[in-house]
Amino acid sequence: MDFSQFNSAEQAHMTKVIEKKQMQDFLRMYSNLVERCFNSCCNDFTSKALSSKEEQCVMNCADKFLKHSERVGQRFAELNAESMGPAKP
Amino acid sequence: MSFLRGGSTPGGGVNHERMEMAINEIEMITDVFNRIVGSCHSKCISTRYAEGDLNKGESVCIDRCVAKFFEVNKKVGEKMQNAGANASPATGASSFSL
Repeated sequence: MDFSQFNSAEQAHMTKVIEKKQMQDFLRMYSNLVERCFNSCCNDFTSKALSSKEEQCVMNCADKFLKHSERVGQRFAELNAESMGPAKP
Repeated sequence: MSFLRGGSTPGGGVNHERMEMAINEIEMITDVFNRIVGSCHSKCISTRYAEGDLNKGESVCIDRCVAKFFEVNKKVGEKMQNAGANASPATGASSFSL
């Protein structure tokens, strides 16, 4: 993804496109996370309210997922740069 | 203007073909990233959620998981390239020609 070849009109357009994609991606991740944490943590329907155990589980689930996503992002960036780096002259 | 290869747009114009390609590349990379996040979460992180932080075992697992995913990605890519190269002279038609 080399942006040095794009002129400024193209770069402005690309920036807008990327921003829109990031927003969509964020929303998708959010609903995915809600479903994931609900499926793992909430299995007792004898009550309408979340028990404190379930609530703690959901908090931990969300925390863990975000940290996991961050770590994957770091490793991904490193490996991506490595696999593209040597190819450039 | 040697950098405007594909299009005939003048200097402040927008070359749609190259932008399409860049957008496709971004979409592909985003897709791969999301798959890695999902797969490595299922494989490495237990669903007990005893605490909110990643423990050492999970962290190491994630690092290895991402590295392996990239390896697999590379190998499958190579295989598909070979399969495409072998198939065209044999059959005389590739799946992309209409």
